[in-house]
Amino acid sequence: MIQVRLEPQGREIRLPKACTALKLLRELGLGINSALVIRDGELLTPDRRLNIGDEIVVRTVTSRG
Amino acid sequence: MKCRKCKALAAVALPSHNTAFCPDCYPDFVRSQVERAVHRHKMIAPGDRVLVAVSGGKDSLALTLLLHELGHDVHGLHVDLDIPGSSTDARAACEGFFAKLGLPLTVVELRREGLAIPLVKSRIKRPICSVCGKLKRHYFNKFALENGYSVLATGHNLDDEVSRLFANTIRWDASYLSDQGPVLPAADGFARKIKPMYRLTEFEIANFSFLRGIDHVIAGCPYSGRASFPVYKGLWSGLEERMHGAKVQFYENFLRDGRPVFAAWAEHREDPLSPCTVCGYPTSAAVCGVCRIKTMVAAASDTPNT
Repeated sequence: MIQVRLEPQGREIRLPKACTALKLLRELGLGINSALVIRDGELLTPDRRLNIGDEIVVRTVTSRG
Repeated sequence: MKCRKCKALAAVALPSHNTAFCPDCYPDFVRSQVERAVHRHKMIAPGDRVLVAVSGGKDSLALTLLLHELGHDVHGLHVDLDIPGSSTDARAACEGFFAKLGLPLTVVELRREGLAIPLVKSRIKRPICSVCGKLKRHYFNKFALENGYSVLATGHNLDDEVSRLFANTIRWDASYLSDQGPVLPAADGFARKIKPMYRLTEFEIANFSFLRGIDHVIAGCPYSGRASFPVYKGLWSGLEERMHGAKVQFYENFLRDGRPVFAAWAEHREDPLSPCTVCGYPTSAAVCGVCRIKTMVAAASDTPNT
């Protein structure tokens, strides 16, 4: 499983198989410039592969006031 | 994906610029965008004292860091809105950040002005985001003028500016379209206002803030759920993904071709400002919007069962 935490909502989801950061954003309905994808304190570009066992943070960037 | 400059593994991809950068090279890109904006629009002159309006979010804290590193004389001003579950964290982020950099920060507490936002929200039947914005702008401007700051800088980014321009265009609000831009010159009763981050998107600033370890608030304001700007930002995000560079083109072409037309129109329009009869700050009415809000809040407080 890939564990994904969404910020700032705090929601957590799990993905059953490996994919790319771009695929993850698409699954979440997010544009490629709408969120940071972070793994172990490292920023990932959309082409980077996410592997089983990864813990990912997806942080949306739109400020709301 | 490789860094354009050093060919190391990229951390940030920027389709709008058809490029990518590694963690070491990316901050240089952001700094160059701010430097370019400051230089092109002559935002800050030598010797200027710059007051930076800070909310605790990524944009204003990144702006503070960038202006400081570019050698400008920076002082922060935070307006504590007194919103439960939001303002304490925002203020702590500002105080922690300025202490870390060793820069001066002043906090204006709206509660002490009798204008805590939850109280205002309960007393005034107008969209709270608009009222809150008016109050913040008033106190930022007032502090700048009363304390000798020649420039008031805000962290507005390209997404903010495009959303605002889009909103003004939807309404064809010629008055707002006549002076929207990265610089608003000083006028009687108004400090000079600048937006040095206007060339950078929220995404670009979020990446910079992350890579530079800026500890900013991430959660949004709990009162902003019905604000229209996030809707516009969503629309433009979708457009940008299909048409790379659409945002910057819309905004820069407006500055070049659109604004002069509206500015010429505004010159022929009589809309004199005069000092507010209560506080003395400029207004197009006898009493300014902020003083009217204060009066309404006080009147509602005096009325039983409100």
